[in-house]
Amino acid sequence: MRLQEIEKIFYFIKRDMTSFSTYKTNMILMVLGALFGALSYAFLGSNASMQSVLQMYHISFKDYLIIGMAFSTYIGQALTLVQATATPWQLEEVLVSPTSLGTFIIGSSAWGFIWSTVVVVIYLAVGSLAFGVMLSVNLIGTILVLGLGISTLVGFSMIGAGILIVVKQGDPVTWLMGILTSVFGNVLFPPQVMPYQLQVISYFVPQYYFFTCIRLMMIGRSIQAVLPDLLTLALMCAIILPLGYFIYSRCLRTARKNGTLSWF
Amino acid sequence: MNPGNAIEMHNLTKVFKSRDRNSGTLSYIFSRKEREMVTAINHLDLEVRRGELFGLLGPNGAGKTTLVKMLCTLLPPDEGNALVNGFDVTSQQMDVRKSIGALFSVGERGAFWRLSGYNNLEFFSAIYNVPRNKRHERIMDVLDLVGLKDKAFDRYQRYSGGMKRKLALARVLLPDTPILLLDEPTVGLDVISSRTLREFIKNDLSRKAGKTVLYTTHYVEEASQICDRVGILNKGRLVACDTPDAIRGIVKKGEVVEIRVQSITDAQVKAMKIMNGVVDLISEVEDSVVDQRLLRLHLESIDLLPMVLDFLFKEKIRLIDLKREEPTLEDAFIELTGAGMGR
Repeated sequence: MRLQEIEKIFYFIKRDMTSFSTYKTNMILMVLGALFGALSYAFLGSNASMQSVLQMYHISFKDYLIIGMAFSTYIGQALTLVQATATPWQLEEVLVSPTSLGTFIIGSSAWGFIWSTVVVVIYLAVGSLAFGVMLSVNLIGTILVLGLGISTLVGFSMIGAGILIVVKQGDPVTWLMGILTSVFGNVLFPPQVMPYQLQVISYFVPQYYFFTCIRLMMIGRSIQAVLPDLLTLALMCAIILPLGYFIYSRCLRTARKNGTLSWF
Repeated sequence: MNPGNAIEMHNLTKVFKSRDRNSGTLSYIFSRKEREMVTAINHLDLEVRRGELFGLLGPNGAGKTTLVKMLCTLLPPDEGNALVNGFDVTSQQMDVRKSIGALFSVGERGAFWRLSGYNNLEFFSAIYNVPRNKRHERIMDVLDLVGLKDKAFDRYQRYSGGMKRKLALARVLLPDTPILLLDEPTVGLDVISSRTLREFIKNDLSRKAGKTVLYTTHYVEEASQICDRVGILNKGRLVACDTPDAIRGIVKKGEVVEIRVQSITDAQVKAMKIMNGVVDLISEVEDSVVDQRLLRLHLESIDLLPMVLDFLFKEKIRLIDLKREEPTLEDAFIELTGAGMGR
């Protein structure tokens, strides 16, 4: 390769690196994300995780993992759904039409949830048929837990989207919730295997209660068996969902007043 | 509100805080540093009559888009009020939205690229409350109106720029509202597409369908060709509002006549210059071989023209051509805004 071509490649790298470095918040979040990812995979492979799962749920670690991974698609969907509808041109389109913001948010995310349901069914069907995951679904309990869990995370999603509408780049709330899900959310390993100081954090994370309850519903436990966790999740939902809507509406109003709705 | 008006604005004002390159950061948002205020719309009073095609003309940054966004409820006014179809843009937003169709200068951004034109309109017809049993018929009607019927089921991403603009207009027409707010609808279109769209807006939407159209543009000729009345906006203020002819009259100071002649001497030109009522005369040699000159004569009144012609006749100067020069809307625009032209 000629020197001139190598120099061109250097300027491509310089261009992208300079551009990337201007998103400082994003850069820091990515580095922290990698650190937390490493932490969660370290706990995932530990013997303590497997023993803890057996003690708590009386299921194998494989069953624990498949159910957790299946339902984490809903969590990912719920966490990002409001941001996905926050593109300025789509917001402008809806704000000049006789359609309410609530209808717009629900309508924009409905397909995502339908597709997530398909993914969950595939996960569970493959898990059950190919890997022998023992399922005995408490349908009403599952729907109840799903409703509360998704609603709570939609609340966080609205907070994140509101911040995004105002600051225009970087959404620390969604990032933080993603990290909390992977490390403290009871998706890949039970938080009980972590040191006590870290375990405590889990009790403030709604995903922990969601995954605890949904696993027990999938193996046929009654609602009464998960009532304390379910009530905690319901309380979190009652606080976070209206708070999220309030923050989102306020941020939207601020952006409209400042004329910055279409700035991204 | 006067029932003859479709849109009324009273003392309408919008002020923005200025932004700098750090405006998106949290530290900027929470800083206490005083920010400069920019008045985008400055105590504006304006009425647009029902069925009128009203052109809002202004240089870039005059406040045209801000005004349209306020009228379609996207931006709340800081002062004053605006009524659209009799509804207040602040307190009756849903009624305003049911009364308008709004097309923004980047209207194609709201479309879904992997859907067909038809499917895009099907989605928007639901958003705009078009009755379900009438949707198909309405979609095909508007596609026919904008000339996209035979491309209805092509993917939007395969549409040309002009076709995308037409589909954006079709989307605005879907709910069949009485008022249309069209913000620079011909931006990015080639000359032919632009003319077709203008004629469609004038003939089909304004004349035949009787819709009230507020049409913003910075192309002076567009406004001159199609609008019943024109408002000239500059730095958020309305500096003129009348028919294009009347606005031309604002800058008309005397008459300018161009006379092409042969065999005129410098002495004869001097004699013409000192005639009563001749404000100025510029003589320009056009063809020295045949001794042809162009005289640009500025007269106090057109009534003085016979006197000039009489002089040419008596002096046996050969008259080749005579043209009365009218001030254009563009002249008025430059004079009123002191701006360069966006043509």
